[in-house]
Amino acid sequence: MDERFSGFGAFILYTITAGMMIFILAPLLLVMAASVSDTYFVTFPPQGFTLKWYAKVLQDRDFLEAMRLSILLALGTTVGSLLFGVPAAFALVRGNFFGLAAIKGFLLSPLIFPALVTGLALLQILTKLGSQDARVNLLIGHIVVTSPYVIRTVVTSLQLVDENLEDAARTLGASRLLTFWRVTLPQIASGVAAGGLFAFMVSFDNYPVTMWLANSEYSPVPLVLMRQLVNVFDPSVPAMSTIIILMAMVGVLLLEKLVGLRRALAA
Amino acid sequence: MRSSVVRLDRLSKEYNRTVAVDDVSLTIEPGHLIALLGPSGCGKTTCLRMIAGLIRPTSGDVFVNDERVTDIPVHRRNVGMLFQSYALFPHLTVEENIAFGLDVRGIAKAEAAKKVASALSLVQLSNFGKRYPAQLSGGQQQRVALGRALVIEPAMLLLDEPLGALDKGLRESMQVELRALQRRLGLTTIMVTHDQDEALTMADKIVVMRDGKLEQVGSPTEIYQRPTSKFVAKFIGASNLFEGHVEQRSGGGALIRVSPELSLEVDEMPASATDAMISIRPESIIVERAGENAAPPQVNSVAARVDQAIYRGFVSHYYLKTSGGEQIIVFEQNQSQQAGLRYTVGEEVVARWGSPSNHVIARH
Repeated sequence: MDERFSGFGAFILYTITAGMMIFILAPLLLVMAASVSDTYFVTFPPQGFTLKWYAKVLQDRDFLEAMRLSILLALGTTVGSLLFGVPAAFALVRGNFFGLAAIKGFLLSPLIFPALVTGLALLQILTKLGSQDARVNLLIGHIVVTSPYVIRTVVTSLQLVDENLEDAARTLGASRLLTFWRVTLPQIASGVAAGGLFAFMVSFDNYPVTMWLANSEYSPVPLVLMRQLVNVFDPSVPAMSTIIILMAMVGVLLLEKLVGLRRALAA
Repeated sequence: MRSSVVRLDRLSKEYNRTVAVDDVSLTIEPGHLIALLGPSGCGKTTCLRMIAGLIRPTSGDVFVNDERVTDIPVHRRNVGMLFQSYALFPHLTVEENIAFGLDVRGIAKAEAAKKVASALSLVQLSNFGKRYPAQLSGGQQQRVALGRALVIEPAMLLLDEPLGALDKGLRESMQVELRALQRRLGLTTIMVTHDQDEALTMADKIVVMRDGKLEQVGSPTEIYQRPTSKFVAKFIGASNLFEGHVEQRSGGGALIRVSPELSLEVDEMPASATDAMISIRPESIIVERAGENAAPPQVNSVAARVDQAIYRGFVSHYYLKTSGGEQIIVFEQNQSQQAGLRYTVGEEVVARWGSPSNHVIARH
């Protein structure tokens, strides 16, 4: 768009936008501020300035263990949901089969159905199947929860790709797989990247499903955070949160650098 | 590049019980350009895509040089195809686009580069190799697509409304250019179009399709001058259509009575027919001012009033109304000295034409 907003309309628009930004960012800034408070309880405005809570958190073996688990889980989830979500999205957009609409609705369902219910259902199924390993259960659960995000972003970007591109590639001698790899994937790369980022972030801070599937041995960050919050609500909790917020920011910036986030989300 | 014979044998395609293509058999001679022509939804694109291998026929077969290719997947059929949307890969440069087909065939880089360069010069885009498709005009993009399709030395060229997105002027010059190139290469070509002018300009043979079936197959002249059905007569060019009954026979011909004031003389009339539909092309009718000719002929002539007169540069269109209420369209070529329209609205005129212009349509 070349035309810029101007006049009274622009004033209203910028005011609303600024208001929304404050509404979204204020709690995060509040948490960040609370994490440097030199007190033994969370308080706002913070009193004094100290980084000792960070020192404490970064020496906390439970927290570091949870971070390691959460990062590995989120990476595994990202890979898994991409492997599942991209072909699924392809089938939903390019396919033409009986019950397509129903399957579309079903695959996107965890976005509608409460995650808490999904988690409980998964727990019951996985127990019935005799799946004991909490790590495997968490991975399966997280892939179930995050795949719809991947499917959704990939479906939207795939819908923008001219199907004739694929036909052209095939007439030129490329098999379906090669066509996907050489022609389709470059067109939807931003959507795939955005879906992957969503999958990572959703997995990383998922509580409702994780709660059902984790055990005392394997507890991802959200559970550890919650446990800490219930036990001692000292500034180490906002410190942990701040670390997670910074991680998310790094992820977003990385994506912006790699594919251009605005392009990725516009897709 | 070799010229292939393409043969369709009772080709059909059904989608959920609706028939898109219905029992189409057709042979395309080597080096010919044929145009599948028809309104949208007539099955012409489905037909083309079945020849390409992009759609599996429900029944029937496609043969290339007498080899059955129905079960060969599209990527091993070696067809060059052009699309209305050009379908250039936006993430690749012009050179990379053209090299795509060579690349997936595993042709060595050096040899591929040579072929790409010659393809670029063939489509007159030698200086555009490093650009991206988005930086080119529509006409240039379709040239790139053409180069990309030709560089793989395809067994045939398939064109799906290739010039449909271009402006009229550019489209017409591209038609001539594409046709010249196709002739020079002797490449068997099948084109889909809904534009009758494009079909007439480019094709050796026109295949008029309607509701998934072949309506008429013939050279542009045959299709235009001797349409076998009312549908073809109306779809290709404009036509004056009259229905009448056989009043009198003489030799092979007959006198057809259309209305009390209009009777038509035809030179050839099927012996058994009692009714007939006659098509007269608007450009074969001559208009005279009423009273200009002392005694207007009794047949192939009718008195009328000018209902509408349209000046269109080299030609004028007159819409005449007879006293019986029939409309007659006349196209008259304008002379360079002429000052605008020769007849004005409301003027009484006489329209007449020769009996060879009366074309009997077999199927109504």
